[in-house]
Order: sequence, then structure tokens, then C-alpha cells
Amino acid sequence: MDYEAEKLFEEPGMIQITTWARGVLQNKDARDVVFALANAASKEGKYVQAWENYVDLPDRVNVPVRSYAKISPKPIESRYIYENENPDVVVLTEETLVKGVSVLEDLKPGGVLIVNTKRDSKYILQFLDDTSNLGMLGCVDATGVAGYVKTLSGAEGATDASGIGAGVGAVLAGAIAKAKEIVKLDDLLDAVKNKEACKYGYENVKLMNVNNPNEAASAVKTRENKYGYDTLPFAGTVHSPKKENKGMVTGSWKTKRPVFDKDRCKGCLMCWLDCPDGAVLKTDEGFVDFDLKYCKGCGICVAVCPAGAVTMVPELDFVN
Amino acid sequence: MGKKRLITGVVATAEAVRLADVDVISSYPIRPYTGIMSELARMIADGEFDAEFVHAEGEHAQLSVVYGASAAGARTFTGSAGVGVTYAMEVYSPISGERLPVQMAIADRTLDPPGDFGSEHTDAEVCRDQCWIQGWAATPQEALDLTLLYYRIGEDANVLLPQYACQDGYFVSHITGEVDVPERAQVREFLPPYKNKHKLDIYDPQIIGAQIEPNMGPPLQYQRVLAMRNAKKVIKDAYTDYNRIFGRNYSPFVEEYMTGDADVVIFLQGAHSQTAIDVAKRLRNHGEKVGVVRLRTYRPFPTEEVRDALSKFKVVGVVDNSANFGIAGGGGDLLTEVRTALYDEGDKVKTVGFVAGLGGEAITRDEFYRMFDKLQDVAKTGKVSQNAYWVPFEL
Repeated sequence: MDYEAEKLFEEPGMIQITTWARGVLQNKDARDVVFALANAASKEGKYVQAWENYVDLPDRVNVPVRSYAKISPKPIESRYIYENENPDVVVLTEETLVKGVSVLEDLKPGGVLIVNTKRDSKYILQFLDDTSNLGMLGCVDATGVAGYVKTLSGAEGATDASGIGAGVGAVLAGAIAKAKEIVKLDDLLDAVKNKEACKYGYENVKLMNVNNPNEAASAVKTRENKYGYDTLPFAGTVHSPKKENKGMVTGSWKTKRPVFDKDRCKGCLMCWLDCPDGAVLKTDEGFVDFDLKYCKGCGICVAVCPAGAVTMVPELDFVN
Repeated sequence: MGKKRLITGVVATAEAVRLADVDVISSYPIRPYTGIMSELARMIADGEFDAEFVHAEGEHAQLSVVYGASAAGARTFTGSAGVGVTYAMEVYSPISGERLPVQMAIADRTLDPPGDFGSEHTDAEVCRDQCWIQGWAATPQEALDLTLLYYRIGEDANVLLPQYACQDGYFVSHITGEVDVPERAQVREFLPPYKNKHKLDIYDPQIIGAQIEPNMGPPLQYQRVLAMRNAKKVIKDAYTDYNRIFGRNYSPFVEEYMTGDADVVIFLQGAHSQTAIDVAKRLRNHGEKVGVVRLRTYRPFPTEEVRDALSKFKVVGVVDNSANFGIAGGGGDLLTEVRTALYDEGDKVKTVGFVAGLGGEAITRDEFYRMFDKLQDVAKTGKVSQNAYWVPFEL
């Protein structure tokens, strides 16, 4: 047989929404974005599904995790194609996800990116690695009008007894409704708890056209398993890293970066001792340096420093 | 040649473990396996054998001990029976997944309802899909031979898999037989020392059994599939060498008895094959064209060899010594696997299942006689009126 996968597997009119968030503290709001949209679309008679990525590790702090929705005018046939292959909309519950995380990978040509940020669209755009398929970028200060809802209710597929859309998720869902006609605002407002926040997102998202959708570059991609049976180590045995563990690069987990003030440092090395990731390095002069490739930005170094020589600075303040 | 001795299956197994220079043994008692650990403990206590003997707090721990010891580079031995085998279930897949050639003797026993300690293949057959090499010894001699053969097969660089060396509890484990106990020099020629190339090493630390991501799962499963496939050739070569060095005449996968012009045969594995052969011989004396085919290697299941052996006959009766409730065909798992092997033969070969010898009851000669009688009926009429019979209630 000789078919093009793109045409053979097409589901006309289906919208895929992927939300990126950071770990256990934002997971609920990421889930709320996709559930609010799916519930609203369901009310409008569309076929929907909403779910969380099972492989990501939502029980940790700051690790990038994903939630998904599919909304379609016809019954969804790709129900168990587990990760959204080509999202129409990508949403970030936190701004630093633009840096070091390939959030636009496999975006559908002309797709939309919505970011929770106070910053300017152009400033955000410089951090994204491949914007060739990006049609529109929308920025909205969701955290400015609502907080992250911190609950485990609704995690692991269980019932969410806390309600949908009380925080940041409601603002972002509103912003999506403005950027792309997926559901009517009234139906979305019915689906969320914090209607003011949702309306704020709809009215205040700053949208910017990036590429003309017709000119957007590459087509649909198919995924491949990155491990071969002959390239994976025998029996999955893992040799202990001598210096660094390249299989577990965690630098993209941080939202804030430690900055070191040499004049204040007394060389006590408490930060070096307490860093859970070995990301504080001793220098020859008896001071310290930070390995940003692995630093998760947890701030323990700041907490244990008796001299106030380390401060945490928002990651996006740094262009590098 | 070695020394002839009159010993039970448990002593024969322990002798083989000693001859194989096993480094670490972990044990926990349950009948009928208990005799093997007692015999090994006696050998060590009497200074006849030098090995680490760990008495675990249960079968799960027992298997975990040899898991770790094998990863550290030791040749290991353990064993169990019945619910002990199923209690350790969690550890079987990690051991084969980490490709550690642990050997476990199963002197088999029926699963509970409580207390029945009689022999039945059910306990060992429940574990059949955990990627362990598996087969049954039918005599104390074979119990000794299987132990040595399985270390050689499992430790082969192209296989590296654990092994269940099974023997029918009580029948093989507790009844004496004449056993040729080989010389140490013969064993050394056949079985080189175990060298684990990826063993734990404090100078090159590594994680064995690290948590993996879901997308690493399929390639690891596939590595095991290839090991099982490789095992067939390795088994064949090991048996060839074994026969030469020890003067045996084993066939690696299936063995045929009186099948030259047979119309009907009984197909089975384990101790009861000896009774089936006896009954077939007696019927032969009266001119009945009957025979027996015995399965020697259960995992990897020798699909082609079973098909080639059985496709010659009109009717094959498959005797399962295990309880498989609700299974396709209503017999045991051996029946379903034989039918799969014979699938392409179509209607040419008829198959009938017999579930017999459960709970440790002997399969009597009269029962085998009735099975052969049923098979002759099917050969005559060409009709299978019942897929499988639970003996003696339905036959």
C-alpha cells in the first residue's frame, strides 16, 4: 500500500489543544484550561476529550508537564493516540517555558501560542526555538488577576471536586477563545468558576500575527520511538555518570536563576553542601559557581546562605 | 563415567548444584521442594560443599536474594513449590529483564485450596510467560542433568536468561531412581564458570533494574524476545555436548516412543510420561498402533518440532497436568499450544485434551488405557465429540 499518512489519518475540523505547565503547583490550572474548553465545546454539541500526559511527572515541582484536549465536529477516532500529534493551540501557564522547552514542536501550520506573561510579545518571541509554523502569539498576564489553584483534587484521572477554572486556567481559556474560534465565550463562561478572570483573558490578551498561515512551513510530522532495541543498553543497565547525567538535564525546570555575589560570599560552601542536584560547583579560589544546565532553580542555596550572597532572579530577565 | 547411586530427585538436584559450583543459594521451605534445600544445607554443614546459604524470610525475598547475587556475578540457585512459586511472582520478570541467569528448581505442587501438597504442573506453568527457560525432568537422573544443562543454556552469552528446572513433586523429587552422578572433570568440560559481563562493580558503578520510561519498554521486551529465539539453537548445542560428554541420548525438544507406524499418540511432559510409555508398550503387545510423544522443553515452546513430530498421526491426545479454568478448548495450556502448533495442518490431525493427575493423584495405567481407547474411537469415527476430558470425572 502507498498512502500519505497525513491524508489517510485526517480528522477534518478537529482542534488539538496542548497546555504546558510546571509540575504539581500548576498542573491543576493546565488541566482546567483543557477541561473548561472541552466542557464548553461539549455543551455546543461537539465531540471532546480532555486528559493529562501520563508519562510526564506531575507529582514533582517545576518539571514541564502537559495536558491535552481534542474538540471535533465528528466522533473522535484517534482517541488513544495518546499525545496530541499536531496541536492547533499551545498554551503556557508560566512564561519561562518558552526557554529551553520545545513547546512549538509539531505545531500545526498557522497554530496559536498563548503565554501567561506580563512581558511584551516581541520579547517572548526571541526565546522560541522554531517559530516557522507559528501563526499567532498571544500574551496575557493571567497571574496578575488570578492565582494558581493548588490542589490534588482531580489528579490521576479522579473526580475534580474543587471545580473547574477558578484561577489562571480560566484566564488562559478566555484568551484562547479570543484567539481562535473554538467555543463561544458565553459557553466558556458557563464552564468556569471564576467568570471575571475568564472574561479578563478574553478581553485583555494581546494578539500578534507572526506568520501568514498560508506561508507557514512544514507539514504534519509523525513520531518515532527514540530507542532501538540495539541502541538501548543491554537489559536497560545504566552506568553511573562520572561527572554529569546527560540523560537527566533539568536546567529547563527553573523559573528563577541563582545569581552569585562574590563580594558577600564567605566561602562557607553551605550552598555546595545542600544543593540537591550537585549544581553548585567549587571554584579554585574557594568560591562557588552554578551549573545552569542542571540547576532546577529550587532556591535552597539562597535559603542556606548565611551571607546573602545568592539571589534568585526571574529566568526571562536573562536573554542567554 | 561417573558413579551409580540410588537417590531421589531432591538429592540428584542438590548433587548437580554442588557439581555446578554454585556460589549463592537462597531457600525457604515448602514441600515437596524442601528436600532440595535440606540436602544442600547438609552438604554445606558437613563441609562437602562451599557456598553462601541464605535462609530467606519468604519466597519473594528468596528470589530477590538470588536476583542481587546474580547481578554481583555469582552463580545462584533457589527453588520452591506451589503457592511459594506464585508468591515470588513479582520477581521473575525483573530477573529475566535484567538478563540474570538465576536457576530455580520447581518441585511442583498444586496451588491452594489449602493444604494439598500433591504434585501438579499448575504452579510452574502459571509462570511460563516470564521469559525463563523451562522444562520438566521425568526421573532423578533427568533432574540432575537438567540442572547442569540449564546453567549452560541460561548463561550462554546469546541467551542470558533465568531457568525454571522443573520436576514433578513427590514422583520425581521423593522416589529414588538409579542416577549416574558425573565426575567433576566432566562437568568442568561441559559448564564453564559463570562470568557476568555487566555485573555490579564498585569501580564502575551502574544501576541494574533502573526505572525506565515507557518508550524504553518495547525495546527491552524485544531484547528478551531475541534471547528466547536464540535459546533454541543454544539448547540444541548444549544437548549435543551433554550427550557426548556424559553418554546420554536426550533429544532437546521432543522425544518419541513407539511412533513408527502409530495412528494415535499421547503427548505430555513430566513424570507421568513414564506411565504413558508403559501403557503404550502393553497395548503394542496386543497390536495396537499407539505411541507417546514427550515434550522436553516447554519454554521456548518448540513450535516447529512439535508440529513435525505430531503431524504424522491421525489423533493426538494432549495430557495436561495442570488446572486451567475457563481456558479456550476447555483442557489445559498444553492443549492450546499444541493446537496452535498444528494449526496449519488443518483437519488432518485431530486433537483431544485430557486434564489428569491433579492434586498429586497418580495418573493410573487404567486412566491412560481409557485415554488411548478414546483416541482410537476418534481415529475410527473421525469425529471429536468433546474437546477435552477432566479425568476421571468425564472419562
